[in-house]
Amino acid sequence: MATEPLTEQAGLQGPAAWEQEAEREHVHGLGPWRLGLRRLRRNRVAIGFGVLFVLLVLSCLAAPLWAKHVAHTTPTENHLSDTIKLDGKTTNVVGLDGVPIGPTYQGEFFLGADPNGRDIMVRLLYGGRNSLMIGVVAALMTTILSVVLGVIAGYFRGWPDLTIRSLLDIMWSFPVLILGVALGVALALGGLQLGPITIGGDSLLIPIFIIGLVYVPYMARPVRGQVLALREKEFVEAARAQGAGPLRIMFSEVVPNLASTILVFFTLLIANAVLLESALSFLGAGVRPPNPSWGTMIDEGVDRIATAPHLTIVPGLMLVLTVLSLNVFGDGVRDALDPRAKVRLEH
Amino acid sequence: MGRFIVRRVIQMVLVMFAVSVLTFLIFNVIPNSDPAVRMSGRQASESTIEAIREEWGFNDSLPQQYITTMEKVITGDLKSQFTQLSVGKEIVKGLPRTFSLAIGAALLWMFVAICFGLYSAVKAGKFADRFLTIIALIGISMPVFWIGALANYYLGFKLGWFPNGGYVEFTEDPIDWFYHLILPWTVLAILFIGFYSRVLRSNVLDTINEDYVRTARAKGLGERQIMIRHVLRNSMIPIVTLWGLDFGAVLGGGAILTETVFDLQGVGQYTAEAIGQLDVPPVLAVTMFSAFFIVLLNAVVDILYAYLDPRIRLQ
Amino acid sequence: MGKLGRRALALLLAALSMSVIAACGGDDDSGDSSGTGGGGGEAKNGGSITISQTSQPDFMDPALTYTVNGIEPLWLVYTPLLTYPRTGDAEKDSLVVPGLAEDLPTISKDGKTYELTLRKGLKYSDGSPVKASDFEHAVKRVLNLESGGSAFYLGIEGAQDYIDADKCDADIKGIEADDKTGTITINLSEPDGSFSNVLAMWFVGLVPGDTPCKNLTESPPPGVGPYKVTESVPNRQFVLEKNTNFPDLGPDIPAGHVDKITTKIVKSAQRQAQDVISGELDYMQDPPPADIKPEVKAKYSDRYKEITTASTYYMFMNNRVAPFDKKEVRDAVNIGLDKPALARLFAGEVAPGCSFLPPGQPGFDEALDVDDCPWGNPNEPPDIEKARQMIKDAGVAGADVTVYGNNDDPTDKVTEAYADQLTKLGFKAKPKILDGGVYFQTIGSAKEAPQTGFANWFQDFPHPKNFFFLVDGKSIQPTNNQNFGNVDDPEITKGIAELNQEPEMTDEVAAKWGDLNKKLVERAWIAPYGHRKLATFFSERMDFDNCARFHPVYFNDYSSFCLK
Repeated sequence: MATEPLTEQAGLQGPAAWEQEAEREHVHGLGPWRLGLRRLRRNRVAIGFGVLFVLLVLSCLAAPLWAKHVAHTTPTENHLSDTIKLDGKTTNVVGLDGVPIGPTYQGEFFLGADPNGRDIMVRLLYGGRNSLMIGVVAALMTTILSVVLGVIAGYFRGWPDLTIRSLLDIMWSFPVLILGVALGVALALGGLQLGPITIGGDSLLIPIFIIGLVYVPYMARPVRGQVLALREKEFVEAARAQGAGPLRIMFSEVVPNLASTILVFFTLLIANAVLLESALSFLGAGVRPPNPSWGTMIDEGVDRIATAPHLTIVPGLMLVLTVLSLNVFGDGVRDALDPRAKVRLEH
Repeated sequence: MGRFIVRRVIQMVLVMFAVSVLTFLIFNVIPNSDPAVRMSGRQASESTIEAIREEWGFNDSLPQQYITTMEKVITGDLKSQFTQLSVGKEIVKGLPRTFSLAIGAALLWMFVAICFGLYSAVKAGKFADRFLTIIALIGISMPVFWIGALANYYLGFKLGWFPNGGYVEFTEDPIDWFYHLILPWTVLAILFIGFYSRVLRSNVLDTINEDYVRTARAKGLGERQIMIRHVLRNSMIPIVTLWGLDFGAVLGGGAILTETVFDLQGVGQYTAEAIGQLDVPPVLAVTMFSAFFIVLLNAVVDILYAYLDPRIRLQ
Repeated sequence: MGKLGRRALALLLAALSMSVIAACGGDDDSGDSSGTGGGGGEAKNGGSITISQTSQPDFMDPALTYTVNGIEPLWLVYTPLLTYPRTGDAEKDSLVVPGLAEDLPTISKDGKTYELTLRKGLKYSDGSPVKASDFEHAVKRVLNLESGGSAFYLGIEGAQDYIDADKCDADIKGIEADDKTGTITINLSEPDGSFSNVLAMWFVGLVPGDTPCKNLTESPPPGVGPYKVTESVPNRQFVLEKNTNFPDLGPDIPAGHVDKITTKIVKSAQRQAQDVISGELDYMQDPPPADIKPEVKAKYSDRYKEITTASTYYMFMNNRVAPFDKKEVRDAVNIGLDKPALARLFAGEVAPGCSFLPPGQPGFDEALDVDDCPWGNPNEPPDIEKARQMIKDAGVAGADVTVYGNNDDPTDKVTEAYADQLTKLGFKAKPKILDGGVYFQTIGSAKEAPQTGFANWFQDFPHPKNFFFLVDGKSIQPTNNQNFGNVDDPEITKGIAELNQEPEMTDEVAAKWGDLNKKLVERAWIAPYGHRKLATFFSERMDFDNCARFHPVYFNDYSSFCLK
């Protein structure tokens, strides 16, 4: 059950659930990829949502095309005093009382405007790039950190294991959202100094760093558990007998066997990272303006929910669709790669 | 048993210590800016910043700074840099509200999740199961603050079925208290229902395959009796643990978003406001206390388990 | 004003702008700050009302509070020696009158000595007698607590020594009070034309001489005023009740109408507006949010109004940094700034204008503000083509410009819109949104050297000195600079220094301030775009026509509130 609802209480779901995950994960042995693929192909719902996700990503990537050729504007261009023709009538993009226009369902202002008179559709696509970028990069960061830590802990055992495990336990004691906002508040002003690299407080790298960090315990622990089991397997013993060093064994024997776990986790981590980004941005501890993201768009939108509900509904729906597609797809992948899933379904 | 408790308590204290050190590091060491400037909140002048530097000992060595910080946290001397109000007092003031939200939501999500999970397991692979699975996945894919804001506006304000946010003390009017909390409870529970029902479903499916269930079935016990007495009871154990911890986490400030959307003014909203103002002391206190609380609950759960299941003590 | 002075004033800027920005208004503005006093009927006395604020006042202590949330209720609880009338006539209400003092101060020829006499027989709300020495104690609390207002009182002789002594009961050399005769003598180290206004600030509202020098938010001390604070639970609510010991201070300083005002802290402004509509609340301190305002204006205009406040929103342009070191460029920005567009971002709660001095300040010229604005009528779209050409001619087209702003609502939106407008004028402009908490410090740092960005000011008191220090060459400093654009026009700087010495605000002096304002605007040192409006919104059971007095200095006047 890796579908951690890591929104608000998220991490709180805590230890027990992920411990279960760990147990479950190390039960299945070598990944019979082909079998898995065949099973996945039969799960039409999962495939459908996987395709949906790809479409969402592609449309966000195509943001400049839409902006230039359909909406004829940019994500930052204001149209405060402009008017457009709607059903032959001239309409203000932003009313005198500051109320922006709703969806027009035509090229310009397809999904309406925001209080600055900016095209919501264009902002949505550009904001999606940021949200997805944060999600993917943060998930990548979590995955790399978790695999490195998990493999080291699980393979060497002893004091490296003890150190890493204690560290993860401590991080685990913090609710994900609380840890996220704590880091967000702490880093908001001066940013971060990592050796020679300085990251400004308003940089997109800050939320990536925060989100990438807070999920590490949730993945590193199951990975460690699996490595613990793998290192006792015959093929690892065999490699060791052949005189392979620990690094070689880790890279050529252990990590490839973690591939299915990593894949499943990676998918679900993106979903959770996107959700967490929106929550942090909503609280003002995530993406900082003027960068758009779905989270900041919802945050700006809820203040105008009565006069311009599209400002809240549209980015929220995009977010739900993205997260849902990743969750369903990730779920399907897990079912496909986990042999026991079949057993479960036949009951 | 006594020895186990002692060991577990020592471990708990150690983890708490580590938690406090990590919190300290997050706020005072990791960021790339003057901690005094960050601590000084919105209305910072040079003299305020200097006073804060003095007060928190930011010119001292790190261990000394840590001690100063912890003294403030433990003695309740922590004050919001913005209002000069005691952080401890404000947290205590918000607790009944946060508790009301947490307890109702926790009971609700547990109850609904059992129904969904069990039904899903019984109908595993059938349409009902798939349908509930998708519903559960939708539930965990929605940002709480988004669904909360929409529910509050459309159901609360526009249709007027529910109050448009706010809180009424239980002692003042229990019915109004309940009425004001229905929407927040539901919104907070949605996410957990999705998650718990899926955990329960797979637990039930695992249990059904266990030998003792087969034995019971072989003995000719009724399906209903098997489900309730053997399957459900055994599937519930991990969920109850999870429930305890989640409840603790929501109580420890985990419901920041729900409280903010519904204007409940509990600990979570207090935190959210502090975040908005970059008011460091309240955020520091809530971060540390929520982690303490979770560590404590973890220990309590472990000890309870050991009490119920002697095998654990030996591990 | 001393060095600390500008700094402390910055606090007000941060504080006021924060609470006021959350505020909103509408379009049917009354143009100037004329409040509504009487609507023909009689105001009814008695009854209790429940009102709301979005955030807890910073402090519920007169010596400390520096936000509208605190000032609006507390100036009615703590009357200083001098005060402002509450009659509903905006012009009259901007002029200082005797409060607890018998008369206006006698000012010595050199403008340094102020003499006042306390009225006889005054009592605090708890019944204890008011003494002349209580005034000195009130000043001590302001200084000792390092209040945001302490800067205003540093001109008193020995004030700095008192602060350095760091003892609550130390003596302030420049204040002598005789409890028997009730005379109070204040010596200043330098003449200060605005000192009567400073004496009328809520900071020095009188409190008993034994009031401790600490933050009393949770148990506010007694005072002399129409109301007294009977309950204060931070972040939940505070209660004002009619002060039965309030003395008769004349018809211009009346007692209140309702018996009890319960102020609830309701964080959601949307909910407050909905509750005022439904009658659960009687008044909201923040105006209805932009989101609810269209509905309020459409359906409840009979209990809603907007009034322009004495405030100015402007863009600073740092004339020490390219490209704004060229006058033609600053001219072009003033011409090209789309003021009506910016007003839309405030949901119409900004009255477009191009005067730096706002309405309500002596020397304000309405013609300069709107009709005779040298940069074109601020209510009409700007001549972008002309401005564009000027920037091209100046040879700075395509220059990189970083536009500073903060994340308060709607400042972030204004900053983004301004950056977009500069882009349309030919620059390569990028917004830089800082956190509201560090914004004014950051742009006030010479090291940061911001090019241009958002700035605003709400008056502390109706005296141009309170505005002109923002553009005074003498106030430029390397850190915590309030003169963000480093405006240093020799003529204006000299004029400010001279006019600051004038002890009295005669018509002649006001006209001279007006001239300075005109020069400042014409020379394009800054780019003002309007004055903020505030709103009054009542529930149905409140008597809107007779009881919604708006005070030019302290906004909505609770003592005027009454039920139908």
